[in-house]
Amino acid sequence: MFNYIVRRLVYGVITLLALSIIVFWLLQNTGGGPLDRLKANPRITKETVAAITEFYGLDQPAIQQYFTWLSKYVTGDWGVSFQAPTPVRDLVFDRLGGTLRLMMTALGIAVLIGIPLGIYQALKQYTFLDQAATTFSFVTFSTPIFVLGISLQIVFAVYLERWTGVKFFFNAGMNSANYSDLGFLARLGDTVQHLFLPAISIALISIAAYSRYQRASMLEVLHSDYLRTAKAKGLSRRSVIVKHALRNALIPIITLISLDVATVLGGAVITETIFGWPGIGRLYITAIGQNDYPIVMAVVMAIGIMVVVMNLLADIAYGFLDPRVRYD
Amino acid sequence: MTDTQRPPDAPEEDIDFEALDASEGMAVEPITQWKLFRSRLGRHRLALWSAGVLGFIVFVTIFADFIPGLGDPSAELRDEDGGALNLLAPRGAHPFGTDNIARDVLARVVYGGRASLTVAGVTGLMVMVLGTTVGAIAGYYGGWIDNALMRFVDLVLSLPLLPVAIVAAAFLREAFEGREALALAFLLGSLTWGTLARIVRAEFLSLREKEFVEAAKAAGAKDRRIIFRHILPNAMSPIIVNATLVVGVAIIIEAALSFLGFGVVPPTPAWGQMAADGGRAAVSSGAWWLVVFPSGALIITVLAVNFLGDGLRDALDPTQTIERK
Repeated sequence: MFNYIVRRLVYGVITLLALSIIVFWLLQNTGGGPLDRLKANPRITKETVAAITEFYGLDQPAIQQYFTWLSKYVTGDWGVSFQAPTPVRDLVFDRLGGTLRLMMTALGIAVLIGIPLGIYQALKQYTFLDQAATTFSFVTFSTPIFVLGISLQIVFAVYLERWTGVKFFFNAGMNSANYSDLGFLARLGDTVQHLFLPAISIALISIAAYSRYQRASMLEVLHSDYLRTAKAKGLSRRSVIVKHALRNALIPIITLISLDVATVLGGAVITETIFGWPGIGRLYITAIGQNDYPIVMAVVMAIGIMVVVMNLLADIAYGFLDPRVRYD
Repeated sequence: MTDTQRPPDAPEEDIDFEALDASEGMAVEPITQWKLFRSRLGRHRLALWSAGVLGFIVFVTIFADFIPGLGDPSAELRDEDGGALNLLAPRGAHPFGTDNIARDVLARVVYGGRASLTVAGVTGLMVMVLGTTVGAIAGYYGGWIDNALMRFVDLVLSLPLLPVAIVAAAFLREAFEGREALALAFLLGSLTWGTLARIVRAEFLSLREKEFVEAAKAAGAKDRRIIFRHILPNAMSPIIVNATLVVGVAIIIEAALSFLGFGVVPPTPAWGQMAADGGRAAVSSGAWWLVVFPSGALIITVLAVNFLGDGLRDALDPTQTIERK
């Protein structure tokens, strides 16, 4: 077990190295450099540009630039933004909290609703509720997240307020400006009012995915031979479903959830853009627009690390849940 | 919705009773997998409808040039006095209205299907071939081959799709000059096949231990035959479901990339890009038709793809019985 985890960690590091090489290479080979704006500015002399280029090491060959970046990255020096003299590490950690808050809420909602929904659907296959939930899943799954997000904004932030005169949800930002003056309950309320719409727009898509997979996996188990055996030997329906079916039907969903972290983080890029949410997704889009390589690299690596860790945790959990899986 | 009068396992129209009589009951026409598949899919009415809708959409987009009355998607329309007909509400000659630079939205939605469907179709094909091949080889042979391939799959899967796609989109757009749709398909295909490879590998891992594979091996079947004739048909159901999901996802991601400005480049129309640009224009001008029609076309197409995938799952998986109400 210990050996397995160590080996997986080594693979994880290799994966992250590959990710960094791919993204670094792509950034180097796409038109537009980080200093384009400086170069276009007539008041900045060529000498100044050359000095800045040298300062950032941009005149060196790509491979050397990569190793310089890498050797600094592993020691915790993630470089300095080209746009402002702020350490990238501070920028990323500053925004990471926002993204994690959004992501964890969305995943939590999706797991709490999606999995029970899928199980219920499998148990009551082809009933009205199953069909309705399936239709919901399909429609949600078939809608781009930005259409979902904008629709939620229009309906629950704009029109709901117009109709009722009460502000239920905010459609931009993470907290109100007067947040620090509020009492504990008001703070909690303010946070929920801001968090609700972006979290739901991410969660809806995950709910659709989880319930669909959970339904399929539960149905597969329900049709298996050992379940028929369990029924045939006279176990109660409850015991058959909870002890025999559920325990096996829940295993595949763990892989899906761990893989979904990447999807959710990707979705966060769009959701954060729509809802003006101060997370790493919006930081990423801004940085790409400005060719701010250190930030792009740092955000991609942060997302990569989260994905690698989640995959490892999922595989370990898999082993605990399914004794047929052996680590060798 | 899948309810019929017949029990599911007795497709009597598949049995030729005359031939049966003629040979005095000695020759029974076998119920092949294909026949079983057709009869099962036939019972999935929603999937059939979806196949019809998809067929219609594909047909219309391919033969868009021959549709009478459908204008040029990039022509800017003018009235008799030369005034631009921009932001016309849907009616009469322009049932989907016109956009902010006076182009016919109906024509753009129809032609926009080309880019979106190319992205989706090519991505789906790529994923199916890559994912199935890698997953099958890894799962069947195991050992170091499995290990090496799966580490590579881990690598592909741990590339966060949208962030990497955004960085790569700009690069590929330069590499595939003028063929953005193919560039996007190539990009999405090479980023999304990992899930299917994992699923296929898992199927192969469990199926290769089954008795029927052991029997085939004992009978002297070669690896290739075991993989393609014995294991693959049994693993087909998750492959089909995943490939369809990928086709849907490809259209959605194309839309997401377009929303962020990294998708199909204007003036070439594509649904995602139209919905994204239309969404922004609709907020300022109130022209709802700019966002409703392209995103409607997109959602209906993805819905049809997903419903079809679901129907195929029921039809292709011989271990799953379609239960009657």
